[in-house]
Amino acid sequence: MLTNEDINYIIKDLNYRGIVAEDIQEELIDHVCSAVETEINNGEKFIDAYYKVLKSFGHTGGLRETQKKSIQLQNQKAKNMIKNHLTIAWRNFRKQSFYSFINVAGLAVGIAACLVIVLFIVDELNYDAYNTKANRIYRLNEEIKFGGNHVLICQSGAPAGSSMLQDYPEIEAAVRFRDHGSYLVKPANGTQNIKESHVIWTDSSFFKIFSVDVLEGNPNTALKEPASMAISRSMALKYFPGKSALGESMVLDNKYHARVTAVYEDIPPASHFHFDFLVALVGDWPAAKEAQSVSFLSENFNTYLLLKQGANARALEQKFPGFIKKYFAPQIASALGNDFTMEKFTSNGNKWEITLTPLQDIHLHSDRKGELEPNGNITYVYLFGIIAAFILVIACINFMNLSTARSSNRAKEVGVRKVMGSLRSHLVRQFLTESILITFLSFIIGIGLAYLLLPLFNNLALKQLQLPLVNLFFYLILAGTMLLIGLMAGLYPSFFLSAFKPVNVLKGHVALGMKSGFIRSALVVFQFVISIFLIIGAITVNRQLNFIQNKKLGFEKNQVIIVHDAYALRPFPNVQTFKNEVLKINHLEKGTISGHLPVEGPDSYRNNNTYWKNGRQPTPDNLVGLQSWNVDTDYIETMGMKIKTGRGFSTEFTSDSSAVILNEAAIPMFSLGENPIGQKISTFDGNRPDGSPDPDQIRSWTVIGVIENFHFSTMKEGITPLGLFLNKSDGNVSFKFSSANTEEVIQSIEKVWKRLAPGQPFQYSFLDADFGKMYSAEQRLGKIFEVFAALAIIIASLGLFALTAFTAEQRTKEIGIRKVLGASVGGIVVLLSKEFGKLILIAFFLAAPLAWYAVNWWLKGYTYKVEIGIPVYLLAGVGAFVVAWLTMSYQSMKAALSNPVNSLRSE
Amino acid sequence: MTHSSELLKGTLQTIVLKVLKDHGKTYGYEITQRVKELSEGSIVLTEGALYPTLHKLEAEGLLKTERVMIGKRVRKYYMLTPLGKSEAEERVLEFVDFIKTMSTVLQVQLS
Repeated sequence: MLTNEDINYIIKDLNYRGIVAEDIQEELIDHVCSAVETEINNGEKFIDAYYKVLKSFGHTGGLRETQKKSIQLQNQKAKNMIKNHLTIAWRNFRKQSFYSFINVAGLAVGIAACLVIVLFIVDELNYDAYNTKANRIYRLNEEIKFGGNHVLICQSGAPAGSSMLQDYPEIEAAVRFRDHGSYLVKPANGTQNIKESHVIWTDSSFFKIFSVDVLEGNPNTALKEPASMAISRSMALKYFPGKSALGESMVLDNKYHARVTAVYEDIPPASHFHFDFLVALVGDWPAAKEAQSVSFLSENFNTYLLLKQGANARALEQKFPGFIKKYFAPQIASALGNDFTMEKFTSNGNKWEITLTPLQDIHLHSDRKGELEPNGNITYVYLFGIIAAFILVIACINFMNLSTARSSNRAKEVGVRKVMGSLRSHLVRQFLTESILITFLSFIIGIGLAYLLLPLFNNLALKQLQLPLVNLFFYLILAGTMLLIGLMAGLYPSFFLSAFKPVNVLKGHVALGMKSGFIRSALVVFQFVISIFLIIGAITVNRQLNFIQNKKLGFEKNQVIIVHDAYALRPFPNVQTFKNEVLKINHLEKGTISGHLPVEGPDSYRNNNTYWKNGRQPTPDNLVGLQSWNVDTDYIETMGMKIKTGRGFSTEFTSDSSAVILNEAAIPMFSLGENPIGQKISTFDGNRPDGSPDPDQIRSWTVIGVIENFHFSTMKEGITPLGLFLNKSDGNVSFKFSSANTEEVIQSIEKVWKRLAPGQPFQYSFLDADFGKMYSAEQRLGKIFEVFAALAIIIASLGLFALTAFTAEQRTKEIGIRKVLGASVGGIVVLLSKEFGKLILIAFFLAAPLAWYAVNWWLKGYTYKVEIGIPVYLLAGVGAFVVAWLTMSYQSMKAALSNPVNSLRSE
Repeated sequence: MTHSSELLKGTLQTIVLKVLKDHGKTYGYEITQRVKELSEGSIVLTEGALYPTLHKLEAEGLLKTERVMIGKRVRKYYMLTPLGKSEAEERVLEFVDFIKTMSTVLQVQLS
């Protein structure tokens, strides 16, 4: 048997001969020992036996060959390879923790921003997709153009849908919606009214066309009977908690008693309408009566068609000119009374067209008069998509920049690996593993960030987005993008690094390659082009908003409180009492009862009726579309509007009931000339039984005054003709107040309201706030731009920060020598900043024209817009430069202030 | 006489598998000894060929290993996995088949 001493000798000797791999070493030791034992048993001495055994292995060479073969076999296993790559990647990550942190942070922020935007875009693109028949549902639109009028509406006359259903076999069903604004709602036995704004009148085919689940009641018959209605699940819960709403009775506006015949699941958020109450369009209530009208010319119904399977919508659209000729033309002709024909109408450049919009295009592609709710805009989807891509690209660029910039630090590693026999493909794989590891970490953090930031974004974009954390598909896509980004970001550095020639690298020549960072410079420029562009965008949107806020509107929007739904006070004289009572309160000076307000919102009704100058024959060329507003004698004064010529309404003139006050814009449209006062305008005052306007019922109005133009719509639109009429209309009561204590004003008005209208909701708003709400889309856009501009510049700065740190590190020796030779700290800071400063300057000159183009495009949508002068561009450029300089200066200062002894003594 | 290593090359795995099948738990040196005995000295497995083969078979999942401490040294025993067992039988049959083919190709009569 072998002694321990012998065994130790064998272990040491084998080790000395180069057998070191753990696994094979043990095995060979055992083998050799066993063989030696056998030889000793055969009578050999230990040392002779050992050499005999070694010989059978082929001495040192043979031993090593055996070891090498075994190791190679082991390494062919992919698992080991990846493990090795991951280990090295992780070690590198930890060793370069500063750069790694910046890489991960930048990429994580980019990914979070991108993820949020992608969720937003997916949500926008999937509007109305819950409808199983979505691809067969179309909405009817009309485009009407004559004289100086041009309207694009998404509503049609009452009989349009049913006539089409009759005439065209490819249509399976039609449904109409009639929007009468908000209603005061209570259960039949309730006392307290609640204002509900999602109330719509509709046909019984609603449930057949739209995929809204009916929870209780029969969807086929629910809306067939007069005075029946369907309500959403949340409304059923709200008004009839703890019991079935089916069969219950509800009261709308204190007068319409309707029975609940169905309860349906709430309409999903991603829908272009969110009705809570569907009231049947049958019976003899005003909306239902309107629905029975045979006039094609009063477009009040949002009409949707369900086509049959396989029907061609474009082919159907081709038939609509015939439809207009058949139904519309006779009604127009009989109204105008003369030799009207559709051919003559269109040959004069006029237009009356019906088109179809596919259901799923409505949310993003439709912005017409009469939309059921404000829609989204495909431009913003594109814009955000581009921003998301940009931010991600910026983050990836950082990654690439830093990786290549660090290349000299890793050049030695590459050289040694190559000398040791590593192939280029091994190195590429190694670097790709590293970049994928970093991407993976960034994704984890990015998703966490997105989760935290989503509520904020939802607030900003008025959305209810959620991370689809239970969706397998979501993870697949994430994993796919992760790999893709990892590959994209890692590809350039890995090929760049792996291309080093070991001889050059080990001689130390690679540092020369550092200065020729053309691609790196280009990437920095690109980042700052995007940042500056976004900054200019943010400033522009905010300037335009400011402009709108401060523009002279033609009315006074400050210190005006509006009490809504004054019709709850009915019968009529009560509203007058209310106004008088409120005006007795201190600080409330003027008040007016009116149907219309100079701001657009859910409570401001807009109409467009046709008038013509009295004494002329109404023809398509001299008809004028006129907004007719019902106001009282105090309207002009309360709203602070200015009378240009003539006078306002007065109780002293009884004839004022047939008087009109026009705005300036209306005068040239009616060709009223220099002195419009005393002239008359006319309109149809009734319909014939067939629904067409009756040429025998014409009413005329005398112009008693002209008011200065005021903005009653958004700044996107020009000021169109408008007339004020002295009519009793109890939509709103507005008060001008002078007290600074608005809380007190509200309370004292509410007291009067509670007394005069017990059980009715007191709804109020301020005119300036309502005005602001008209631009909420712009305000959101502005905020979103700000956020993303900030993100872009933060990520770009992070990258720049790391890059300067790196350059400073590279140039420590140079800086040391400069300092020894007498360079000042300031001089060195300038020296280090100069290079990047130049890049930012280039970025500015590239971004400016791009931004100029985009800004002009956006502002083109506004009739009234701000001038974006050179200062804005300069501001953005200087801003980006200052941010960049501040990030750079930290590193530059650090380098410049360091003691040259430290950097020079090592050589 | 000893056979040339060229001839042995293709059959090494079969030999190792068969030895392990017949003897169960075996360690490297033992395998060489066993083969020497069976072939009456005409086949000598070199260590340089044996260990890579063992490791390869292990990596393929045909063998599993067990380490036992013997005094100062560690002995690594090899044994067949269920997959290895069926593979061993198959390899032997395949080889018999091969010999038959070779005999007709070389036109020699095997006793």
